[in-house]
This record gives sequence, C-alpha cells and structure tokens, in this order.
Amino acid sequence: MPVQFTLLLSRQGKVRLSKWYRATSQKEKSKITRELTTIILSRRAKMCNILEYKDIKIVYRRYASLFFVMGIDASDNGLLTLEIIHRYVEQMDKLFGNVCELDIIFGFSKAYYILDELILDGYVMESSKREVIKKVSQQDELENMDEFETVMA
Amino acid sequence: MAPQMKGLTQFIMDLRAAQDAAEERKRINVEVSNIRAKFATSLTSYQKKKYVCKLIYIYLLGLSEEVRFGLDQAYDLLSSSNYLEKQLGYLLVSLLLNRTGITPLNFVQELIERTQTHLIRDLRVDSDDINILALLFIASNFNFPAVGHQKTVIITNTDPTAEFWQELIPLVYGLCVSPTSTNLVKKKASVALLALLRLCPSVLITNDNWIPRLLSLIDDTDISLILSAVPLASLLTEFKPSYAKAIMPSVAQRLYSLVVDATCPSDEFYYDTPSPWLVIKLLQLTEHYFVKTGSSDSLDATTVQSIRLVVSRSIQNALVPRLAQTSRNTHSAILFQAVSILTYLDASPDALSGAVKALVQLIDSQETNTRYLALDTLIKLVARSEAKIPFVEHLEKIFTSLHNKDISVRRKTIDLLYIVCDEMSYTQIVNHLLDYYPSSETSLRASISVKIALIAERFATDSTWYVSSMLRLLSISGSTANPNVRIDGVLEGEVWERVAQVIVNNEDLTIKACKYIVNILRKSSGAPEGDSLMKVSAFVLGEFGYKLAEQSNSENEQFGINSQFQILYDSYFTSSLLTRPLILSAFLKFINRFPKADFVPDIMDLLEVETLSLDLEIQNRASEFLKIATFLVSSNYEDVSFAKSLLLPLPPFENKENKLLRQLGSLALVNRSTSSFKRTLVGSPAPNGPDNSENFDEKSNPFFEDEAPKPLPLTPNWYGGYHRMLQYDAGIFYEDQLVKLTYKIQRSGYAYTISFTIINNAARNSGATISAFTVSDISTDNKGEYIVNLTKTPDLTITDRSSMEFEARICDIVENKCGPVISISYKCSGSFNSLRLKIPISLLKGLSGTTMASIDDFKKRWVQIGTLLGVEEGELSGLLCAPHRYNCAFLASTLQRIGFAIVQKTPDNPGENIMITGAGILKTLKSNYGVLISLRSTDLDAKAFQLTVRATGAGLSAIMFGLVQEILSLQN
Repeated sequence: MPVQFTLLLSRQGKVRLSKWYRATSQKEKSKITRELTTIILSRRAKMCNILEYKDIKIVYRRYASLFFVMGIDASDNGLLTLEIIHRYVEQMDKLFGNVCELDIIFGFSKAYYILDELILDGYVMESSKREVIKKVSQQDELENMDEFETVMA
Repeated sequence: MAPQMKGLTQFIMDLRAAQDAAEERKRINVEVSNIRAKFATSLTSYQKKKYVCKLIYIYLLGLSEEVRFGLDQAYDLLSSSNYLEKQLGYLLVSLLLNRTGITPLNFVQELIERTQTHLIRDLRVDSDDINILALLFIASNFNFPAVGHQKTVIITNTDPTAEFWQELIPLVYGLCVSPTSTNLVKKKASVALLALLRLCPSVLITNDNWIPRLLSLIDDTDISLILSAVPLASLLTEFKPSYAKAIMPSVAQRLYSLVVDATCPSDEFYYDTPSPWLVIKLLQLTEHYFVKTGSSDSLDATTVQSIRLVVSRSIQNALVPRLAQTSRNTHSAILFQAVSILTYLDASPDALSGAVKALVQLIDSQETNTRYLALDTLIKLVARSEAKIPFVEHLEKIFTSLHNKDISVRRKTIDLLYIVCDEMSYTQIVNHLLDYYPSSETSLRASISVKIALIAERFATDSTWYVSSMLRLLSISGSTANPNVRIDGVLEGEVWERVAQVIVNNEDLTIKACKYIVNILRKSSGAPEGDSLMKVSAFVLGEFGYKLAEQSNSENEQFGINSQFQILYDSYFTSSLLTRPLILSAFLKFINRFPKADFVPDIMDLLEVETLSLDLEIQNRASEFLKIATFLVSSNYEDVSFAKSLLLPLPPFENKENKLLRQLGSLALVNRSTSSFKRTLVGSPAPNGPDNSENFDEKSNPFFEDEAPKPLPLTPNWYGGYHRMLQYDAGIFYEDQLVKLTYKIQRSGYAYTISFTIINNAARNSGATISAFTVSDISTDNKGEYIVNLTKTPDLTITDRSSMEFEARICDIVENKCGPVISISYKCSGSFNSLRLKIPISLLKGLSGTTMASIDDFKKRWVQIGTLLGVEEGELSGLLCAPHRYNCAFLASTLQRIGFAIVQKTPDNPGENIMITGAGILKTLKSNYGVLISLRSTDLDAKAFQLTVRATGAGLSAIMFGLVQEILSLQN
C-alpha cells in the first residue's frame, strides 16, 4: 500500500532528491536509481506514466526539466500516485513561487520538508492542501526566530 | 534551511561552476577536510548548522562514504536544546547511518541503542514540534518491509534491546490516543507506531486493549488524521481479524459521505474530488477485508448497501466527461479501486456488465495511463468474478489496443485477452493473436506464445484445430525467437515441450499431427524452419510417423515413411545444433521400425559423419546410435532384440502439471492475491478457494504462534444485567454515567432476538454526544452449541439513542456461563471508553411451559425419566439455602417467567412447607427435551429448599439445576 521511494531526476539523469521509505542498501539504491534513470529518460512523451519494474510499479511524471518518480506496490493505485506527485509539485509551486529545478537544488531542505509533510513512511498523510503550506511556513518562521536568537546571543 | 547561509550557497555555486568531475571532486575534498577540522574545534550554533548542511549536500551528491565522519557530530546535535540543531541532527543521523554490510536486525539494534535516550526525552517534552521530530525519525528509520515480506525484522521479547522498545512504544501509543495531543501529533504518532508495531508485534499481544482505542482514530472527524491512521488500522486488523468486521460499518459510512454525498471540508478537496487519497485508502481497506473473508456475507445489510452505492456512484462519476486532466485522473483512480471490490458485493450481472462497459469505454481514452489502468482493472475484475462476463462484443475494441504505441499497454492487452478467453471466443482470440504475432515486439512474443498454448489447450474441443493452431504457432514463433533464451523470464523452448506432451497423451492426435507436420514441412521445402517446429516434428514423426506411414498408399505417397525421412533429412543441416540430436533420435526410431527401408544406409552414413561432430551431445548420440543401429540391422536375433529393448515407445506423461502456467508472470500474481479465483486452469490443482476462511484466523498469523492473548476483564457491574437477562425478557442491561443499555428479548423456538436500546446518558448530564460507538468484537468460547450474530449495528454517533440487535440460536445443550462477551467502544467528550459485557445465552430462553393434565401425569413422566436415563444421568437433586425467605407465589411466578408451566403448588400459608412442581419443553436446533422440576422447602422458614430437576437429556438436569439456583440466588 505505501509508496516505496520518491526520486527526482533531472533530464540529464542527475538525482535532485531521493527519499527511500523502505530499508534498502546503498548498493540497491544506486542500482535502482541507475536503472530507472535509463528507463525513464528513454521513454517518449506520450507513453504511459506507469510501468512495471521488478515486482513493483513505477509511476513518473515530467515537469519541465525534472522527472518525479515514485515506486509503489504492484497492487497499489497508479493513477492516484500520479496525482500525489502533482499535489507535491503544486505545494512546492506555492511555497517557492513558480518552482524550478534551481529552487530545488538550492532549497533542497525545504523540498524535503514539503515531501515529509505530505508523505510519511510512504503513507500519504495530509489531504488538506492548506495544512502543508501552513506547516512549512511555520517552519520558516521558526528558523527565522532561530536566526534572530543567534544574532542576539 | 536558512536563506542567509552564505557559505552553503557559495559551496553549491562552486560545485555547479565546476568544469568537470575532477574539479568538482577537488572542491568537495577541500570542503570535507575543512569540515573535519572545524568539527574538532568548538563551534557556534550557526556554524554547526552550516557545516552539517554542507555535509548533507555532499551526501546528496552521492558521496555517502566521505561524510560518514559526521555521524558523531550528528548525535551531539540531537541533545541540543535548539530546535533547528535538533532537526538537522535527526536528518543527518538518518542520512549517514550505514545500512550496508550489516543485517537489518543488527542495524535496528544499533540504532535504538544510540538514539533511545534522545527519542524518549524528545517524546516526553511538552512541545509538539519536538515530539514530531522524534516521531518523524522513528517513522522514517524504523520502517522495514511489511509483514509477509521475506526481509521482515522482528524484535522478540528476548532481544537484548527489548527493554528499550518496551519503554519507547507506550510513549508513542500515548501520543496517539491522548486527548491532549493535537491532531498533528496524533497523525505522526500513528505512522510512527505503525513502524514500531511491525518491528515488535509482541507488544500488541501484551497490550491488546490498545487495539480498540487505536481503531477509534479512524472514526475521527479530521480527514487527514483518518488518512494517517488507516494504515495502522489495517495492520491492527491483520493482527486481530475479529476487529476487521467491527470497523467496516464506520469505513462504509465514511466512504458514503465522501463519495455519494461528496461532503468534506473544502480544504480537503483535490480539485473537484473530496479527498481522493482517503477514498482510495478506505476502498483498499475494504478490498483487503473482502479478499480475506471472500464475500460480503458477514457484514450487515446497511453497510453492504452503502458500499454498493459508493461503487455505483464511482462508476457514474468516472463516466462524466470532464475537462481537467487532474479531475479525470482522480475519478478514474477511484473507479479502478472501486471496481476491484465489485465482485464481492454479489453484484448482479447488470452491474458487472455496466462496470465492464465503463472500463471498456476507458480503453478508448486518449490518455495512455487511463488505457493501461482500465485494462489492468478489467483483468482484476474478470479474474475475481465468479459469474461469467460476456466479452465477445468488446473483443474488437480490445484488439485495437494491441496496436497501441506503448508496449506496456500492449502487454496488458495480451494479459486481458488471456483472462477473458472463454468457449465462445477462444478461436477468435487465438487466431487474432497468431495474426498479430509476427508484427509484435520480440520481448512480447514469448508471453504471447505461452498464452496461445495455454488457451488452446484449455478450450480446444476440436483436436485438429488444436494441432493446426499450435503448429502454426511454432512455425511462426520458432523462426524468429531463439529458443531457450530467456525473454521476459519465459523459456520459449517450453512451449514445444508442452505441445509434444499433449500429442503423446492424446492418441487421436498423433496421426493428425504427423500429417499436419508433413504438410507444413513440405510446403516450406527446405527453407529454414523454426527450431521449435523442427523439434516437435522430429519428435512426433520419430515417435508416431510409422502410424501415418501404415495408412499411406500409392495415392498419397507424400505421407509414406520414405517421404517423411526425406523431409527430416533435408532440414537436418539447416537446423540448429540443439535440434539435431532430436532428429538423430527420430532417425534411430525409423531404423527400429523399418530396418529394411531404402534410407537406412543414408542414416548410417550421417551417423558416421556426426561421430566427428564438434558438438559433444551430437557426437555422443551419433556414436551410441550408430552402435544400436548396427545391432538393429544385423541378422543376429539377440542383437536385434537387445537394441529393440532400448527403444520402447514413450509412455504417456504422468506429470500433469503444466509448466507454462508458471510463466504467466504478473497475471499469476492476480490469481494468487485473489482468494475467490475460481477458474481452474488446465492440469493445475484447483486454487484453494473454499478453505481460505482458515487464513482469516489468528493461528495463521506468524506473530501469534502459541501465545494466546489473555482475555480482557469484564466491565465491573456486568453481573447485574447478566442476571436480569437470565430471568427477565426485558429490562436494563447496563448503566453508567455515560451510557445506558436496555434490552428486550423476543423468543421463537430455539432462536431469539435481543434488541438493545442504547441511551446516551451523558447527553442528559452534560449534553455530550457519544461518537464512534462500535461493537468491536463478540467473543465466544463456544464449540457450536450456539450462534450469536449482530444483525443490526448501532449508529456511530449517538445524540440521544440508537439500537442494535443480536440474533441468538441455541443449537445444542449450552453449558452455563459460557455466553458471549461483547466488546463495545465509544468516545464521549474526548475520553475513550470501552465496555465488555457478557450476555447470557441460556437454555432457559428456549424453554416453554407444557401443560400437564394432572399431577399424576407429571408423576408418570417423572418416573419415566428415572427408568430411561437412570437417576445418575437424568436427575440432579440438592439442598439449597435461600438468602431470605421466599413465599410460594413468588417462587411459582419466577419459575413461570423463566419458562416452566406450574403443575401443582401448595397454597401460600406461612408455616406450611412449600412444594412446587413444574414442567417445560426445551427446544434446541438439534433436538427437544422435556424438563421437570420440583422445589420443596425443608424447613418452616422457607429458607432451605430441596431442588430436584429431571430432564430427558444426559447432563441437562445439572445445567437446569444450576440455572434455577443462579436465578433464585440459592446457595449450597
């Protein structure tokens, strides 16, 4: 039922973000990343966004220069996973303001944070669109407070 | 990450500006040694953060080994009081942990040892943010593959780290259920708890009172909280399947309000769909329940009806044309999920064909994703459905997607064609696939040929059709695909083996097959044929060619043995090295049958040449065969009979298992995951459908080996209601400050209905509403003496009152006090409450008075029982003391109320001895019994009684005695 991993791949095949929700060895991770990069980058635009890979399903979607990839159980709902990806992109869009690849490179911790608010241990846990944004903005505030304290100290 | 962290931004920019990998690597090395040096000195909070961020960035670039030294620093950060430092600490620890070269178990043990104190401290702190950090860390680091996965890690009670877990888990549980936790904390806690319970399932055994409280999370009003708690609920019901049924009414109700009423807070809408994530998760939960139980029979009618409506609304929703892609996607996603439970709802043929129509319509969709998933869902639907769904009218449409641009769609289409195939359509499907084969992708071919072979074998009624289609398959497939090469995990070679087996095992096929082979091979006249075809040809002609030859005459010489030989001989050198040995065997068999034929010298020559072959197998065969052949043609009788003994005809294949079935790939998965997969495939044992009920048993759960969970205590004050129900057919069953249960019993023979009215007492006192009212369990220690079912479930939310109904049937003699215990849980103004009450299922409810003409009649029966069963079995008599004085009228009316007819009683005069006799008939499903009772006071105060019961069932008198004693509260 849960998502097994989330990967963000650039069109050049660079990993921009990766999150593994299942205990996986480093070797296995690099192998899957490598194989998926080859498979996904070689797929044409009109092709199906869901593909079977080993005993799991891969769901991916391209936004500008980035591929958002998720691995899910073979029995899970692929189409909905596509919408989870879309939700994630929407949220980033709101928080970064018209998000682009560079935003994710420089603001990687924020990108991770948004993802963590949306999905925990592979389970989608927030269905309200405002809640994530609220949480992340709170986080920003907290950091600013922190900065402030450092300056004062 | 603070935007002001200049060093970090600079570092990232440097790396991006790097010309090549070497330069980038150099910059990183400089930075790593810089950080190493800095960590040795004392740093300010800002610096610590900056360097940790840089480490994380380097880690993200894939250089995990270089940054490992930062781990100690990371642990230091955990104990920081600064929120941000702590956050980075947790992040860094989870990134830098080394998972390679260590077993998962050791990894977990090490991790808990190092982080335990931090986690416990952070969970205890009264700060949501810090609690959440610890919970997030738990949820994302202690997660191991789900139950059933081979790599599952389990912490047992004897594990060296066991006490850490035992301290940690209750804390997380506490955050889940505490009324003071915010929903945000509860959400994270429920996912963290899920990960922990997977690791230490034993905690649930000792704390099974947690389960109802945790399950009540899914009755919450916060959609996001439910969403986070559903995975936990699904794990808990897996542990304790009895709870699965209890949550279904609530799940169904929620689905109904989300899908049919489309009500949900505006924030939770995803475009125009109310929380699709939750809808799908709940549908999956429902599907899970159905797959386990196999049907919806066990659920009450209202719940099933709601689910039905949800499914049909989902289908309607998906068929509405929509402009926005997101909205189309979500509706289709819900449709696909909903359809997969359709077959469990005893759907009518109309409903099924409606669903099929909707899905087939989606195959035409512009979007590849939708097409693909529509095909996928159709496969699931057909595989699970017991009723036959006619697909003939849709076949043409399905065929068109064989030509879709996307290979995944094509692959799914082939799977679908395989699964929808039936007696009506198999010729059409096989012919279409055969036509399609040459234009298909190489990687699809193996799968197509396996499927054609399976379909043909399963449905073919016409043997000629079977042979011709299969040989056609082999002739087109063999020439292109390299046999014995794995394509897609399928051994192409096995198809011809299966065909050969079928031909050997069906005598009426042999001659037809030979004829057909000769015709095909003649047509191609020497041109290279498919390897598989050549193999079958060599085998079949060698084995059965003589039969065809015996039939042939001058008119159809082409079937003669000379001609057969010529065909094989011509293709020998064009065949592959793997096929040649088979042709050699065929030749040897020819010599065996026709030692005087003209072609024998040719074969001898060939064998002699091949003894020099470079291929070991061929060389080996050639030299052995040459020897045998020389024996066969020799005139020595002994040599000939020896050689013939080596060449006996092939016995039929005994192994009925079809290897091809193992190669169905993902289709086989569909079969396995659905318990009600009723289609038996050729030669394979029937899938174990009916005994799946056993799987729905705690015994099969690996975590509950022999440790039976100890029963929970009953709610205090349960006995009053129990005792009341024993003798009265209506009254108050239970009452406390919050809730009151009254009951009413309606008897009909051996069955009776108990209707409860649940009254919200809290409403009167404080105006509070009772929510999440669930009957979570009816536990019995019953060996089939009685059956109790919940026939009407109560409302989840009770503002004033609600009702529920049980139906009880007495099947056989029921021992006293073994009635079922019902577990009820509910929430009231923030607190969680549970009740465990015992319901008496007593024989008395099946007792009805029988009028006797006179006391003489009674005496006659009394003696009858005595002589038939003997006093040992038929009677129980004892002296009892009453707590206070009873008068005769009271005793008589009590006996009447519980079901006896009074035969005779003494007049109610104080100072006289009391004597009452009564009679009744006891009805159970199995049989009816007569019961006679006599109650006689032994002193003038009427406080000591002699009670005697005689009954026509063995052991029954003792039970009746006990019941009367309990009701009158008499003591020995």
